[in-house]
Amino acid sequence: MDDLKNIFSLFDTEYITEYKTSWLKVKLSFSSNLLDVAQMLQKNGLRTISTISPTDFIDENKIEMNYFFEDLVTKRNCWLKCDIPRELKHCKIESLSNLFKGALWHEREAYSMFGVKFLNHPDLRPIILSQDYYNKFPFRKDFDWQEHEKNSVENMNLIVESFQEEEHLSENKLDPNSSEMILNWGPTHPASGPIRLKVHCDGEDILGIDPDIGFVWRALEHLVTQKDFVGAIVAVERLCFMDNINSMVCYAQAVEEIAEIEITEFAKWMRVLLGEVGRISSHMMGMGGFYNAMGLHTVAMWNMDMRELFLDFLESYSGARIATASVEAGGVRYGLAPEMLEELQKALDKFDATKEDIKNIFINNPTMKMRAAKLGILTQDEVQEYALCGVVARASGVKTDIRIDEPYAAYDQIELEYVTQKGGSAKDRLFQLFEEIEQSVSIIKQAKKHIEQKIEEGEFNPTKDYMVKMPKKLPKGEAIARVEWARGEVLMHLVTQEKAKSPYRLKMKAPSFNHTMMVEHLLKGETLSDIPLVFGSLYICQGDLDR
Amino acid sequence: MLFEIFIFPGILYILVWTVVLFWFFRKFMAALHKRVGPSFNGPAGSYQTLFDLSKLLTKESITPQGVNPYLFSLMPLLAASIAIVPTALIPWNSGSTVLSSNYALLVLVVLIGIEPFLLFLTGFGSNNKYSFLGGIRVLTQMISMETSFFLAALSPAILFGTLNLNSIVESSSWLSFVVLIPGFFLYFIALLGLLEQPPFNIPDAEQEIVYGFYTEYSGTNYFLLKIAEFSEFMAVFAGAATLFLGGYRGLFFDNFLCLFLKMLAIAVVMMVIRASTPRITMKQMLQFSWSYLVPLTLLNLAWIMAAKILFFGAAQ
Amino acid sequence: MLKIFDFFAHSKSESVWMAHFCTGCCSLEMAAAMGPRYDWERYGYLPTPSPRQADVLVITGLITKKVLPALLRTYQQMPEPKYVLALGACSFDGGPYNDSLAVVKNPTEILPADVFVAGCPPTPEAIISGLEQIKQKIKDGIPSAASEGGLYKEMKF
Repeated sequence: MDDLKNIFSLFDTEYITEYKTSWLKVKLSFSSNLLDVAQMLQKNGLRTISTISPTDFIDENKIEMNYFFEDLVTKRNCWLKCDIPRELKHCKIESLSNLFKGALWHEREAYSMFGVKFLNHPDLRPIILSQDYYNKFPFRKDFDWQEHEKNSVENMNLIVESFQEEEHLSENKLDPNSSEMILNWGPTHPASGPIRLKVHCDGEDILGIDPDIGFVWRALEHLVTQKDFVGAIVAVERLCFMDNINSMVCYAQAVEEIAEIEITEFAKWMRVLLGEVGRISSHMMGMGGFYNAMGLHTVAMWNMDMRELFLDFLESYSGARIATASVEAGGVRYGLAPEMLEELQKALDKFDATKEDIKNIFINNPTMKMRAAKLGILTQDEVQEYALCGVVARASGVKTDIRIDEPYAAYDQIELEYVTQKGGSAKDRLFQLFEEIEQSVSIIKQAKKHIEQKIEEGEFNPTKDYMVKMPKKLPKGEAIARVEWARGEVLMHLVTQEKAKSPYRLKMKAPSFNHTMMVEHLLKGETLSDIPLVFGSLYICQGDLDR
Repeated sequence: MLFEIFIFPGILYILVWTVVLFWFFRKFMAALHKRVGPSFNGPAGSYQTLFDLSKLLTKESITPQGVNPYLFSLMPLLAASIAIVPTALIPWNSGSTVLSSNYALLVLVVLIGIEPFLLFLTGFGSNNKYSFLGGIRVLTQMISMETSFFLAALSPAILFGTLNLNSIVESSSWLSFVVLIPGFFLYFIALLGLLEQPPFNIPDAEQEIVYGFYTEYSGTNYFLLKIAEFSEFMAVFAGAATLFLGGYRGLFFDNFLCLFLKMLAIAVVMMVIRASTPRITMKQMLQFSWSYLVPLTLLNLAWIMAAKILFFGAAQ
Repeated sequence: MLKIFDFFAHSKSESVWMAHFCTGCCSLEMAAAMGPRYDWERYGYLPTPSPRQADVLVITGLITKKVLPALLRTYQQMPEPKYVLALGACSFDGGPYNDSLAVVKNPTEILPADVFVAGCPPTPEAIISGLEQIKQKIKDGIPSAASEGGLYKEMKF
């Protein structure tokens, strides 16, 4: 930490404080220093930009930029802030994407949503937005979206026209003498989900890929500002339904930090238990998706068979199979009855009974290895440069896991080790998924045993102390919270105003955004057959890609 | 004659076979998936595929804009009729072949081999990028897989010294069965490639190129293509059973039932492979075919010749 | 002769194939409905890779502005007779995303659905029962709601 502080002593800063266990929170006085600071941070090992989050303070007439620098090796992180003017003409800042490749799309996103111009950015096109919001910057506080929505028919026509125009332009650009063509892989494609990869290909060979995202853009970050703190959970949980629980945990932690409330020990253990169930149910779909990409549906079906039992536990706990809304600021929403743990035991037994079959038939499958062992290789350097996280990062051998690096809930009391692979290929990402399911099962067993023991000893009262009272209004403040989500690191940056009833700004950094950036890098020069496999192995969910 | 054309082994037989095999595929696949499969329509859901295929006849057949309507609609019909013809050559029962010919094996192999060309033309005529890619893939796969298919199918002909399928079945014995085992394996692998079954289901790879050459077909045209696909299944399965497994001859009685059970057994093995093996890429398929499968089938021919001299006394 | 027509009408209602187009969270529960526990293939439902062979289009939950043209184009590509099943609160009025600036709030006004399945997301049982209602509608020979009208007829896509 001290070497980081030394860097900042060279520049004018408003404040330098230590934040949480591993963060240094700094505010620069002048945004013109940003590039130099970033350069020095990079030299010091902070090679990853997790995300970039502008906050629009309309009353103070400024936009505050938040940069989250991370070091995946030594676990030192830096939260860098600086102010820039709010008027569109002067709303400019130096781009960092030439230093940090992972910032490429995040800067495009900040530009599309807030109109922050990044100087020297190589490709500053709007991203995620539907065409009718181009150059309107919908997340600015003075943007009247209800007014905009009144002309819905014209907006739809605009979207269609600009899509057709773009289609026409790119077809016309092709050299008539070459055999190059453009394939639209999605959004109606059987394996794509709502994303469009514009694949430039020559026969079967891929020349280049341009991902077009935003087909499930629900503007969640904007949506939460219109709901109260409890209602926002509904939006936060829909980040991606495959693992909805950990994203709620993340949001709840941020709110608790601002409200300065400590939750009960029982609620902490329940968050671990629920979170791991969510992780398993997501990983099982992920494994199924990996094999579906190669035309083999058996794994997906067998995993679905096991997953149903884990969902049964969630259903008995919360009443809903996947939209549980079961984690709230202040604890967890419901108490725990012993029958619920019996449901969980059934699921664990089923997994233990099926595990060996899956391992023998599908994990050690020679045909799968033949296809995936040398495909989509990501090196450790690329992981750091592009800010990849979670399964993808660990499959490349990078030891990063928020549960260990910055323990939340009750993870500090659990025996847990980094699970990593070496190769970083598509095959390794599948292995990683499977081993993480095993790890999660062992965590669940520990948590379940602990909870049962403490209930027996009388220390936990499962019908009462699952929740502490939360104030209706929150003080002015801001907080970040990180959790290890099924797909990787989720970072939420929450800002509140005085006596706030609803969030002023919530930035959600979700892993699929960075992973989708890698699609082109990994697939250039490969063949069409490799698109679904690489795409499936990156474990992308369009929900958290677009938010 | 009319009976043979319309009932057995003609059109009705093909239709029944398609319905039954389609149902069997779905039901068996479901069991491997730990599911139930079709179950509420008729006993064990056996009417389900009948309904599915009849429904296709009543649906609209779309001809997309910008295609040659004659090519687009003619090809499925042609593909289906060509695929049905081989049934006339197969000896379904002792002494009851519709078209008994001394060159039956040759005709069979050629008729099976011409099918992918027609499928390529369906893809080519669809005016769709994915269909076209599917068509190209069919063609590539055909060229590399049919070489070994022909060579493997040749081995019984060399062993028995005849191209007449009836005589091949009649002269098969336990000894010839054992000698032909390597040939059968190679034929089976080539069969997977020819019928576009996993791990060689490259031409209609759903996750890569939507549905290959089927992409633009709907209604009756799609029905005809399905009939063509299942008739091809029948021709190839029946070919395998006739050439290598002794056709209609059984352990206790010689009957059509024996042939049918053998064909079903091949289908079962095919389905188990389908449920446990992911698809490979075009490149890997080409490499596998030309550097392993074709040399092995040639070696197999050498083995057949040696066996003929050693065990069947061809030298005298 | 009438009997044969009856048979075809019956087979049309008993074999419902679904166009593969997932736009929202409800597609997860649809996947569960295909899975071993609920297995909608028991009733004869089958997903098809290409809309050309499909009978029913499933609106899986939310429709954003960007994906709406693609949805309508998919619907246009299906052969007649075609039906629409709408899943989830989102397809009715935007559901939890009602205040969102990027979600179409009235997808079923634009593309009228024959059967609407409530829930967020609807359970697999509900999805299957919704499909059974579509079967009944086909059996009774009622024309699909989208063929009777809807905003999509006046839209460009």
